[in-house]
Amino acid sequence: MTAPLTARIAEEFRAAASRLPAGVVPPQRREELLAVLTREGLPTSRDENWKYANLRALERMRFAPVAPRTEPSLLAADLPAPIQGYARYTFVDGVFAPALSCPLESSSGVTLSVASRSREASERLAAASALPAPADARFAALNEAFALDVARIRARTGAQCPACMELLFVSTGDAESGAAYPRLELDVEPDARLGLIERHVSLGAESSFSAPAVDIVLGRNAAVDHYRVQEMGPKALWIDTLTAGIAHGAAYRLYMVSLGAASARSTIQVRLTGELAEVGLHAVCVADRHQVHDTFALVEHAAPRAKTEQTFRGIAGGRARAAFNGKVIVREGAHGTDSRQSLRGLLAGPEAEIDVRPQLEIYTDDVRCSHGATAGKLDDDMLFYLLSRGLERDTAQRLLKWAFLEDVVAKIAVPELRRQIERSLAGQMNETTALKELL
Amino acid sequence: MLIIEDLHVTVGGKKILNGLTLEVRAGEVHAIMGPNGSGKSTLVHVLAGRPGYEVTRGRVTFDGRDLLALAPEERAREGVFLGFQYPVEIPGVNNVYLLKAAVNAARKHRGLPEVDAFEFLDLVRSKMKLMQMDESFLSRGVNEGFSGGEKKRNEILQMLVLEPRLALLDETDSGLDIDALKIVANGVNSLRSPERAFVLVTHYQRLLDYVVPDRVHVLVRGRIARSGDRTLALELEKRGYEWVAGEAA
Ligand SMILES: Nc1ncnc2c1ncn2[C@@H]1O[C@H](COP(=O)(O)OP(=O)(O)OP(=O)(O)O)[C@@H](O)[C@H]1O
Ligand SMILES: [Mg+2]
Repeated sequence: MTAPLTARIAEEFRAAASRLPAGVVPPQRREELLAVLTREGLPTSRDENWKYANLRALERMRFAPVAPRTEPSLLAADLPAPIQGYARYTFVDGVFAPALSCPLESSSGVTLSVASRSREASERLAAASALPAPADARFAALNEAFALDVARIRARTGAQCPACMELLFVSTGDAESGAAYPRLELDVEPDARLGLIERHVSLGAESSFSAPAVDIVLGRNAAVDHYRVQEMGPKALWIDTLTAGIAHGAAYRLYMVSLGAASARSTIQVRLTGELAEVGLHAVCVADRHQVHDTFALVEHAAPRAKTEQTFRGIAGGRARAAFNGKVIVREGAHGTDSRQSLRGLLAGPEAEIDVRPQLEIYTDDVRCSHGATAGKLDDDMLFYLLSRGLERDTAQRLLKWAFLEDVVAKIAVPELRRQIERSLAGQMNETTALKELL
Repeated sequence: MLIIEDLHVTVGGKKILNGLTLEVRAGEVHAIMGPNGSGKSTLVHVLAGRPGYEVTRGRVTFDGRDLLALAPEERAREGVFLGFQYPVEIPGVNNVYLLKAAVNAARKHRGLPEVDAFEFLDLVRSKMKLMQMDESFLSRGVNEGFSGGEKKRNEILQMLVLEPRLALLDETDSGLDIDALKIVANGVNSLRSPERAFVLVTHYQRLLDYVVPDRVHVLVRGRIARSGDRTLALELEKRGYEWVAGEAA
């Protein structure tokens, strides 16, 4: 099954090669990545960590990137409302759209360059983002092989506290016209601080394929709050890879909200490379109808006294499936590791499915690792309590669903973004208004 | 107001209530006592509409209407309130949200517009004062991390805000210190009126010193083994349930 797929990828690559910009990824590098893909093949549902994502849909997709539009037909008004204080950079089908962007002031200490890799930055990335050992970079390789553009962000030392930016990836293409490869390389220098919103939306309900790749390096004592929102159209196939390397004393906090797409898969791989490094991975997803939301989140503790906190809250209704596989590996010598996982799924439909799986691999003594995982229906006692106070059954159930998501949603510290997310969550749960706004 | 006739209830195939008959009239306070496991909580749960109970015989009317035919939320809106023996914690659902949603549900039922936000807060604050509860409880999750006594006070707070016509209080006095017991009793007494009735499930005579009942019933093995006035509670305190149970058998 994969053999013909990689053969087709290679074919589409040849045909598209002349329009893949060398300034984004050098041709030689692209060729190497293609060779890797051809050798390894794309994952299939038989692969250990790929049981849930709907990979068969790939067979219907084109891999060559959508041809960039000469005349951008989008207006700023078509896009989600901007978040005050966050400079916006918009990419349409993976290509930077300056007309729809509103860049940062140059004094902010953050530079964003589109497709001009500074040599120094690329070396730092190469050195620091060495993937965790059992890494899965196949879709990231696909992304890099085909990328038309890349957002390269470099947050400099002494950046004002904190610099804030939003990357908006808009997909307008359909499956016939080609794929989108949103690409972000983030280099946060020592001590720098950054607030980053990353959103993926599609305009139009056509089926489409995007394979975003995000590569992040946090220097010593740097801190990043990264909010990722996936709100693709109902027929989209979205397969995403995020890789991060966290140096000594640095803190990376990732908040992921997954709402859209027919099938969405995130492969998150974080490596704590320095002592006292910290990562927080907090994810919510609400899947309905036939949607599949699947996340694989791997954190590797490669240095002592580093800390991980993983929270997942997923609701599956209709015939949807929500899966979260959270894996923590504690390497030899990573003593004093502190890792906590709390993974919970809520079944909101008789034919829905939840799969939450915490996994721990520990190769050292002296660690504190805890994990809890639950999957179940709404609690009958809680529901009865609310009904006994006169609440409509529907209201009571909604209230309990909100409460379930609250552990993660409450952590979103950008009020405007949180409100937008709450509204989207409400929409996804078939509510006209966010219940919380009513109350 | 409430008429229970020959009520038989099984739970998980086990017979718990066994031909229970009881009438509570508007304005009355009834105390229900009885040994552990005799079916007191089962009775109030069945009245409030908790799922999982099978009524195999008998009927219950509330103001002439078939109570058992109503969904739990409808019973609440008709004015039935259950103060739980073990109030559940609901993290993430704000205490004040719940109160407001409950008040608005009742108002909607009566064809009234939603409560004004400021008036509502004033009302809640005044009731909290009566219950000697700190306002910080408002923004916490429902019963989340509350101590046993705080949970019970929170039940009474909800009762005061909702002003039910029939309050079923299941061991609201258990786990309360002496001061809290008086506070809870004050709360109950502040609602007593000719239109309202109370059913107090309790193990202790003490509560009945503060909330003086019109009738006291002893529940043994799923039926009322003896009824009397308040002196029955005193006698039970002295002689224990063996006395009633023996007589009933
Ligand atoms: N789901 C169930 N399955 C089987 N038995 C049950 C179930 N629920 C309750 N019971 C039994 O029903 C009986 C009555 O329980 P209930 O809670 O009504 O007693 P109670 O009088 O309130 O006791 P207490 O004074 O201890 O609160 C008990 O023996 C209890 O074990
Ligand atoms: Mg009981």
